Amino acid sequence: MAKELQEGNCYVALTHDHLNSASMIDRVRSPNAGAIVLFAGTTRDNFAGKPVKELQYTSYEPRALQTMLTICKSVLERHGLTSIAMIHRLGIVPIGEESILITVSSPHRQAAWRAGEEALEECKAKVEVWKKEEFGGEEGGVWRANRDGALGVRVNDGNVESEPPAGPHGPILRPGRLGERGHGAVVHLNPQSSGP
Amino acid sequence: MSTSSKAPPGHFKILYFGPAENHTSKSSEDLPAPLPIAKLFSTLEEKYGGIKANLLESCLITVNLEYVDIPENENDEGMVIQEGDEVAIIPPVSSG
Repeated sequence: MAKELQEGNCYVALTHDHLNSASMIDRVRSPNAGAIVLFAGTTRDNFAGKPVKELQYTSYEPRALQTMLTICKSVLERHGLTSIAMIHRLGIVPIGEESILITVSSPHRQAAWRAGEEALEECKAKVEVWKKEEFGGEEGGVWRANRDGALGVRVNDGNVESEPPAGPHGPILRPGRLGERGHGAVVHLNPQSSGP
Repeated sequence: MSTSSKAPPGHFKILYFGPAENHTSKSSEDLPAPLPIAKLFSTLEEKYGGIKANLLESCLITVNLEYVDIPENENDEGMVIQEGDEVAIIPPVSSG
């Protein structure tokens, strides 16, 4: 059973069930919209070349739903969208299945493309969901942190260690911002909008 | 992940998510209230040695679902966690 919030033309939800892209497309379908963009995030079978057996997601559900709604409302307004919907799956997600779906509709396609990407980036930076990658074997699982693309904390009991950044592109070198305390930057796709 | 059960009188509930749950080996517990928010990290450090440097310094904190500032200095004034409050340790997130 999904936990969901709806406000105006924004819909957000968390569920332990399979995600259904057709129903998420239908949620944003509108006669005012000439474009619907769907993003489907699926679970990958490796992290930096290391085989991943399955992924497990946990969430602070009431807090995450509020954050998802805030993101959707601001993306909707910034891009003049007709409608936006975002759903994240929790619990064990086998490899190759959808863990997140975002759908946006707008009168024209450019805004929908941009808004979909921006909504995803903000979600990955802020929404209170945590992913654990199970590598199988004796290693146990590893918590990921989106902010640096690095391996997080090993889960073996009583033997917690932090790993150095090991993402495919190396660590992200960016000075911290006041009040940020470890949460990653939000990537805005249209920096030219700050120009003349 | 239950966030429904209330803390007993004189206590607040603290929730540990993701990597925080591995540091404490529990998803939640009840701690004595009131507690100045500035003393939260040292209180947890006493119970779980090493948690401050290994985890808490990269975490955010919510009280009753709202993000709060942790004063740099333990003696600084700041909000006080009250009986019945729900506090959560929010490690760096990894949705998507």
